[in-house]
Amino acid sequence: MTLFTLAVGNLRAKKARSAGIAFAVALAVMTVVTLSVVSSGLEQAAAAVLTIGKADFTVAQKGVSDIIYSSLDDRQVAAVQESPGVESAVGVLVETERIDAANPLFIEIGIQPGDLSAFGVSVIAGRAYGADAADEVMLGWQAARDLGLHVGDRFRANGTTNTVVGIYSTGISYGDLGAMFPLPAIQAYNRVPGSVTLVFVKVASGYSVVKVQAALESAHPELTTIRTASEFGRADRNIVFLRAAVTGSTILALLIGAIIVGNTMLLSLFERTREFGLLRAIGWSRGRVVTLVVSESLLLAVLGSSLGVALSYLVTFALESLPQLHGVLHASFSEGALLRGLVVGMGMAVLGSLYPAIRAASLTPVKALSHE
Amino acid sequence: MNEPPAHPTPMIETHDVVKVYADGKVRALDGVDLTVGPGEFVAVTGPSGCGKSTLLGLLAALDTPDSGTIRVGSHDLVRLQDSDRFRRQAVGLVFQLHNLLPRLTVLENVEIAMMGSDRPRGDRAGHAARLLEGVGLGAMADRRPPQLSGGERQRVAVARALANDPPLLLADEPTGSLDSRSVATVLALFEGLRADRGVTVVLVTHDGDVAAAADRIIPMLDGRVVGA
Repeated sequence: MTLFTLAVGNLRAKKARSAGIAFAVALAVMTVVTLSVVSSGLEQAAAAVLTIGKADFTVAQKGVSDIIYSSLDDRQVAAVQESPGVESAVGVLVETERIDAANPLFIEIGIQPGDLSAFGVSVIAGRAYGADAADEVMLGWQAARDLGLHVGDRFRANGTTNTVVGIYSTGISYGDLGAMFPLPAIQAYNRVPGSVTLVFVKVASGYSVVKVQAALESAHPELTTIRTASEFGRADRNIVFLRAAVTGSTILALLIGAIIVGNTMLLSLFERTREFGLLRAIGWSRGRVVTLVVSESLLLAVLGSSLGVALSYLVTFALESLPQLHGVLHASFSEGALLRGLVVGMGMAVLGSLYPAIRAASLTPVKALSHE
Repeated sequence: MNEPPAHPTPMIETHDVVKVYADGKVRALDGVDLTVGPGEFVAVTGPSGCGKSTLLGLLAALDTPDSGTIRVGSHDLVRLQDSDRFRRQAVGLVFQLHNLLPRLTVLENVEIAMMGSDRPRGDRAGHAARLLEGVGLGAMADRRPPQLSGGERQRVAVARALANDPPLLLADEPTGSLDSRSVATVLALFEGLRADRGVTVVLVTHDGDVAAAADRIIPMLDGRVVGA
């Protein structure tokens, strides 16, 4: 018999209570993991726009609530282009539009046809739109496939009925699920002539990307540069708020869960007072009693966490299937989300059981043995 | 029968032990002087509330005296640093209510006392089985306490008390809830431990017939040893 087998036996002896604690852990872990994967999915979807241009880094307006609201004028784009070490700087206007129920956030990019190559766009069918065309559009190959459209078909978007003149590929899934328009047409529709949302920068060979970024930010404090998805929060404050909300929810789930576990463990301790008194009387150290109680709690945490992750998969699947969230919610089960769930589950167990465990270990054997 | 045998190094030696409860209002022990030699089988007797169980609790290091000195073997219990280790190695305890854990098997109830001891983990189950053989319960190792009679449970408790081969066995009213046949069996077990293994046995009882089985009777009254 080991401490582990003893702990397992103790839990099996009180099946209903053990199941109750494990379920409480599972609910907390499910909440945290689901929040994490949903926010991570939203973050990745939002940051995906940065990957389309295959740039070394992207320039955006600093401090906007949503990167889609970033706005840089011609003068700022020209300044970026003239910065030392910049090989090319492509200004694009990005917006989303509801096309239909299946495409509530269809991505539309305004870009000059002369910049398509530098932006990593290959026209794989038809041709590129004209620079000043008012009703021409190119569809990403995945969008064309999903919408069942071909070159020559009509496509209603951006306030007008456009002719699909070409099909393109960027090699990036997010980009190939959208459409591209002549920059002036999309600027006119959005009433922002001369403005772009983002500038995609390629650094000349021999220059350090980090140093070019630093120099640009130093020279233009109103702008920020983003190299990786993890830096996305520097430009998009919604992501910062989202991350803060997830962190807050995690802490709240941890605390509420720990209170539930602690409360139930205290009740269990009360019922097992004589047992702990006996163990102390026959020479068990306080540390060994604490280890036993915490081990029982940790075992339930492992069980509850596993159940919580499984429930999270089900809940996320159900949420994604809701008509209101279809196409908006993209869950991303990352290692970080699972780790966060595990930390919450284990944290609940340790925090919740520590006080009951210390109380159990501190019982005076004589008093505990006389407990009715 | 009441004369303590002369031993050069007593197993138990107390001097002027005082224990008070309820902010000094209850004087459970009021200057107890006691000497028990190694290998002795003594019975501490007296009416309820005379301090027998309190004395036993102090000898087991379950509690500490308010004043006085207590030595058990080489241990000074007043200055004891690790009472857990003392209880694990130096004494075996048997209670009136056997205090077995009902969800564990009989074998596991004995083995649990060895957890944290120096005995290798692989030897514990075998040692527990031998102890159960010794108390005549070898065939019941896989049963659980609710499946045993009161006498059998108390024999399991004795086997558990001997798990770490202590030189001293302290038993608090171990026959209090047993029928006469089981009482005889348990007392024979104590006598056998003393005779065969040299274990010192201190038995607390209010039953004169049970006390008569001991080598020496230590009567107590109002927190004092009287006429020993």
